[in-house]
Amino acid sequence: MKTTITSITKKQTLAQEYDLLGCMQCGKCTAACPVAMRSHLNIRKLMQEALTHESLNPIPMKELWDCTCCSTCTIYCPRELKPNELIINLRGILVEEGHVPTTIRDALESVFKQGNPWGGAKNKRAEWATDLHLKDATRDKEIEVVYFVGCTPSYDPRVQEVARALVKSFNKAGVNFGILGNEERCCGNEVRRMGEEGLFEILIEDNTNVFQKLDVKTMVTTSPHCYNTFKNEYPETHFEIQHYTQYVANLIATGKLTFCGEVDKVVTYHDPCFLGKQNKVFDAPRSIIDSIPGVKFIEFDRSRERSLCCEGGGGRMWVDASDSGERLAEVRVRDAVEMGVQIILTACPFCLLNLEDATKTIGYEDKIQVMDIMELVSQVI
Amino acid sequence: MREILVLAEHRKGVLRDITWEMLSLGKELAEKMEAQLTTVLPGYEVKSLADELSTQADLVLLVEDERLQNFSSMAYQQVLSTLITTRKPIITLIGHTACGIDLAPGLAAALGMPLATDCLSLTLTEKELTAVRQIYGGKVNAEVACSCEKGCIATIRAGVVSPWGEETRKGKVEVIQSPSLEGISRQRFIEYVEAAIGGVDITQADIIVAIGRGIQDKENIPLAEELAKALGGTLACSRPIVDKKWLPKAHQVGTSGKTVRPKAYIALGISGAFQHIVGMKDSGVIIAVNKDPRAPIFEVADYGIVCDLFDFMPVLKEKAKELLQRR
Repeated sequence: MKTTITSITKKQTLAQEYDLLGCMQCGKCTAACPVAMRSHLNIRKLMQEALTHESLNPIPMKELWDCTCCSTCTIYCPRELKPNELIINLRGILVEEGHVPTTIRDALESVFKQGNPWGGAKNKRAEWATDLHLKDATRDKEIEVVYFVGCTPSYDPRVQEVARALVKSFNKAGVNFGILGNEERCCGNEVRRMGEEGLFEILIEDNTNVFQKLDVKTMVTTSPHCYNTFKNEYPETHFEIQHYTQYVANLIATGKLTFCGEVDKVVTYHDPCFLGKQNKVFDAPRSIIDSIPGVKFIEFDRSRERSLCCEGGGGRMWVDASDSGERLAEVRVRDAVEMGVQIILTACPFCLLNLEDATKTIGYEDKIQVMDIMELVSQVI
Repeated sequence: MREILVLAEHRKGVLRDITWEMLSLGKELAEKMEAQLTTVLPGYEVKSLADELSTQADLVLLVEDERLQNFSSMAYQQVLSTLITTRKPIITLIGHTACGIDLAPGLAAALGMPLATDCLSLTLTEKELTAVRQIYGGKVNAEVACSCEKGCIATIRAGVVSPWGEETRKGKVEVIQSPSLEGISRQRFIEYVEAAIGGVDITQADIIVAIGRGIQDKENIPLAEELAKALGGTLACSRPIVDKKWLPKAHQVGTSGKTVRPKAYIALGISGAFQHIVGMKDSGVIIAVNKDPRAPIFEVADYGIVCDLFDFMPVLKEKAKELLQRR
């Protein structure tokens, strides 16, 4: 029998660790799983196998990498079990045994060496902001808010525009903020979900050491992924952690950020899984959109808790699904075009990239635009 | 007489390219040092290879033994250390290949000789060997020096020296008695495992012609394929092309595909999403062709051409053919 790391360190079977005896095999997890639309991944079956076998050999299960860790299975489980965590655990075994797709391996190695999964140099992390002359939150003791930019907005030129738009709004509203500059590094949200628990722990330690030196009231993140792990998986911090939609919604509500233009467009909003489903931040982004003058807002049928995942989470930015049905982002874009939407708004770097890519791959780039909420806001402030 | 010694590397009855490259380098060193160029050929029933080698070396030392039929670092070490001890060459050249990497350090340690590994070029004087080798993941070329008064060893990176290609010597072949080869039984050759065939390995290509959505239709792919062929390159693509199943996954460049570093990367109709750029930005020369002058691919391109790729491809193809013919 193969001994897994889990069983050595925790001396628990998967069934004990994930309370699998509570599973009644109702199948709601699989029915709700967005990836099941295009993959062999069957989380109900996996739960049953984990229950009936003392340990599972995940090496042949290529479809384990299809999971986006959107957590829909976990939200829908009537017994409050955590099927999603079982997948992360099995990926952990794959990481321990070296059976990971090379692209995932490279992303993890880049996090280890450069502090980001995109292969960008560590000392170029803040290069996007050179001309913005932002305050250094690690030195400036006067600031109130630290803006945690995140890896993708730091390195991907497309998402840098979102960071710039947010900076513009902060400046406009007179927010006293700074960034961590080259001391910022990966939050580890995806690292943990790719099964690299050890690296995730290192990142927590490194980031916590930097955080402890900060004398701020609030940390604001661009990405729901950073927000999620800081809020739910890091040791408690002495400052509050907010996603930018929460912070900006408050700036607007308190009259600190005002608009000076109109947007005459039909828009919809795509709920990022790590913001909506996993952290129940549904209203803040909608209240920002509602406050933009001129905007006509319509909801997706699949919205809020039922939002369709873009397939960008859980390491999926670095590995494609093992099966090749239509990408969910393409489904999403088609839905929006049918609704007569001109702009799909979202609030997550991965959603932005995947949805925008989908408009191109299905040839709808002239029909519909994909933007981050902040990009639209910055046009009219 | 002074001597430059080169280890001939062969596999399955064929001399490997690195051997000719080292002989070319060895020839230069031998002329400068007024030394004899000698090559060692350990093997079994490889007389014909020895004859081939004699066209580019002054002397071929043929060491035949059944136990030398396939590479074994232990057996090779015994052969070479015996020869080096008795012949005292100024320098011994070994390929920086899987075999050389296995063999050279142990050999150098056993002989107590200096070793420079993965060398790009060598300069030799009476007293000193100066080698250029890369550090910091290839970002810096460092010159390292060691004494060669009592001999030295260098492993040479494949592909950095051009082979001469023509007959430069009429050397003789001398058969050498194989040493006792004691204690080599700990190492045993099992089999050669060939890299899986089936699809291309775009990471090994020197020239890549990559297509994106700008190619418009599956029917147009042969046009790009012909261009790649005319340039002696390999066809690659961005993710949408794989999504549409126009090319197999093995051709995909980017974060969810392969990372490539060819000498030249020609991007045709690829707008240059960051996820694609991460997979090709370290290419030697990047040439981008796109109708949209604002396409992000131009940010990383060394040469940017704003035009329709269907106008561009035939012109470059003809130019490539012309050049090939002139050669």
